Amino acid sequence: MPLDEETVRRIATRLEEGEAGVAARLRALEVYREQPLPRRSLHLWRYTDPAALMPDGLGPLPAEAGGAPGPVPGRPAAAVLLRPGEHPGIEGTLPAGVTVEPLDGGDPRLGRAVPEVRGPFEAMNRAAFDAGVLVRVAPGTAVEGPVWIRAASGGGAFLPRILVDVGEGATVTVVEEHVGGAGGFRIAVTEILAGPGARVEHVPIQRLDDGARGHLTVRTVADAGASVATSFVSLGGTLVKMDLGARLAGEGASSELLGFLLGGDGQRFDHHTVHRHEAPRGRSDIGFRTVLTGRSRSAYTGLIRIEQEARGVEAYQENRNLLLSKEARADTIPELEILNEDVQCTHGATVSPVDPDQAFYLESRGLDPVEAERLIVGGFLEPTLARVPGGVRELLEPVIAARLEALGAGR
Amino acid sequence: MTDRADVVFSCRDLHVFVEDREIVRGVDLEVRAGEKHAIMGPNGSGKSTLAAALMGHPAYRVEGVIELGGERVDGLPAHERARRGMFLGFQYPVAVPGVSVASFLRAAVSARRGEEVPIREFRKMLAEAFETLSIPKEFMGRSLNDGFSGGEKKRLEILQMLLLRPRFALLDEIDSGLDIDALKVVSEGIERAAGPEMGLLLVTHYQRILEYVRPDVVHVFMGGRIVRSGGPELALELEERGYDWLQPDAGPVEAAS
Ligand SMILES: Nc1ncnc2c1ncn2[C@@H]1O[C@H](COP(=O)(O)OP(=O)(O)O)[C@@H](O)[C@H]1O
Ligand SMILES: [Mg+2]
Repeated sequence: MPLDEETVRRIATRLEEGEAGVAARLRALEVYREQPLPRRSLHLWRYTDPAALMPDGLGPLPAEAGGAPGPVPGRPAAAVLLRPGEHPGIEGTLPAGVTVEPLDGGDPRLGRAVPEVRGPFEAMNRAAFDAGVLVRVAPGTAVEGPVWIRAASGGGAFLPRILVDVGEGATVTVVEEHVGGAGGFRIAVTEILAGPGARVEHVPIQRLDDGARGHLTVRTVADAGASVATSFVSLGGTLVKMDLGARLAGEGASSELLGFLLGGDGQRFDHHTVHRHEAPRGRSDIGFRTVLTGRSRSAYTGLIRIEQEARGVEAYQENRNLLLSKEARADTIPELEILNEDVQCTHGATVSPVDPDQAFYLESRGLDPVEAERLIVGGFLEPTLARVPGGVRELLEPVIAARLEALGAGR
Repeated sequence: MTDRADVVFSCRDLHVFVEDREIVRGVDLEVRAGEKHAIMGPNGSGKSTLAAALMGHPAYRVEGVIELGGERVDGLPAHERARRGMFLGFQYPVAVPGVSVASFLRAAVSARRGEEVPIREFRKMLAEAFETLSIPKEFMGRSLNDGFSGGEKKRLEILQMLLLRPRFALLDEIDSGLDIDALKVVSEGIERAAGPEMGLLLVTHYQRILEYVRPDVVHVFMGGRIVRSGGPELALELEERGYDWLQPDAGPVEAAS
């Protein structure tokens, strides 16, 4: 189906939305129509053709949901399943003060962190998201265990949307896991609103099927004193762009973004992070690591922007790329836009093979070269893995082990 | 002919090259079970290069014969030499961030044994070894050599030697960067690991450690060669007179037996 008014109405009807939802979606459709695909000369799109990520149509609803995603590991506070054209499946008993419910296209908070004018993918999702969930945490509430949201689909286009609204002083962990999608497109948008003093942990995990393409946008708005810890992992798909970031909108807000990707033969990744400091005394830190094998490719662009009024800010950004094969390639472009003098800011990037001294040290203890490399790579991923919530490590460890096993076999 | 059955390590006519530069220029050594040898030489003479090449560092081109327990190992990669019982204590142990000391040690002990060491047995071994080297237990969970002080790294090297039970151990400047207390602990660890079956080659710049770990044979190494070999008294002589009287190209060289 084409992305037109009729399709948008059909999605809204299927999700039982009222007139407000339809109207907001149609406004976004106008924005979508007026936006050309981004020009390749923009630094954000230097490495990836946006046309390659844009679905040529939307799947018939509901699209076939794809492989049974299995139970969520660990002890989640709630398990949410998003499938194309369906209301979210929600399981778990939530503590008072927390609600998890279907997201309505008319929700006035939509677009606060990711406005539709941001780009065609964001506008498309706003107009036509075909599954959505709203997580609300009342002020002062602490949620134990993650709210685990799994977005699963078969082929075709799937446009899930997540909105997390965290009240003043509340604490919550949200896992966002993307699975399935073979041969299809995943155009996802997640917005997180962290109220004053809120503490939010967000764990986006991209483990789409082989052959899947995806454009995943995540934005957090952090109010005064809020702290956001994002741990992201990107493993799957054939061509995936992830665009993650936070606006530090209130004084003393902090955001820490740690993550890694593991790329194998035939995979192309394009990841972008941004920290936008709009208020004084904020703190932000980015540590993104890539491990690439075979003929995989990664492009990373990272932006730190510090507005004029954001004085006394500390902002750090590091990107490290480990190339395990001669054919793998990593590009990394850090960007700083700093509009005042009263800041502490560092950034760094490296692209290198496994350190031969580390390998020799381990081999001198009897580890064969494959084992040694596996241990070094495991250590390289540890900073992110060390801080993911319970259940996530359990989920990821066998997946990563299998990937590293494959690396060893492929040499 | 002397009996060679108790020779745990030997090398003959060993040359080591970095690209076209010859750094080790013909070294012969023979170490018997229970023997301790010391190699002493000035900075830059090629001691670490010799040690790393003996262990199989891939950056070096090596000519000559290396034998471990009577079998040639010069064609083998480092991990094979290690599995057969060769051990190198590094002058500069390498940090591997994110890899815990305990998981690394378990992998190493398992590799040396050729089978996975059971977790309970491993825990016990580990606790004893940490005790012997006076290393706090917290280090088991820390990243390997990452942010360790010089002394902590050296203790961990000896701890590895204890756990891996080599037949032949090369210790490259294990004494550098140690204060006197750490030196005693490290020396005790070496004495404990070195039984009547193990051969030891202690590479050092200073005589100091030889007061604690008494060598049977001392070799003076200069300009990529052993220029003189003798008993423990040679170390004392070096301490008094320095190296200058022993120029590598001055006069006949007493070859290692
Ligand atoms: N991998 C290498 N590449 C280049 N030069 C090297 C390498 N290894 C050793 N050398 C050189 O060999 C010489 C001896 O160094 P080294 O073996 O460290 O001496 P020592 O341990 O006796 O102080 C030095 O000049 C050093 O620069
Ligand atoms: Mg040296």
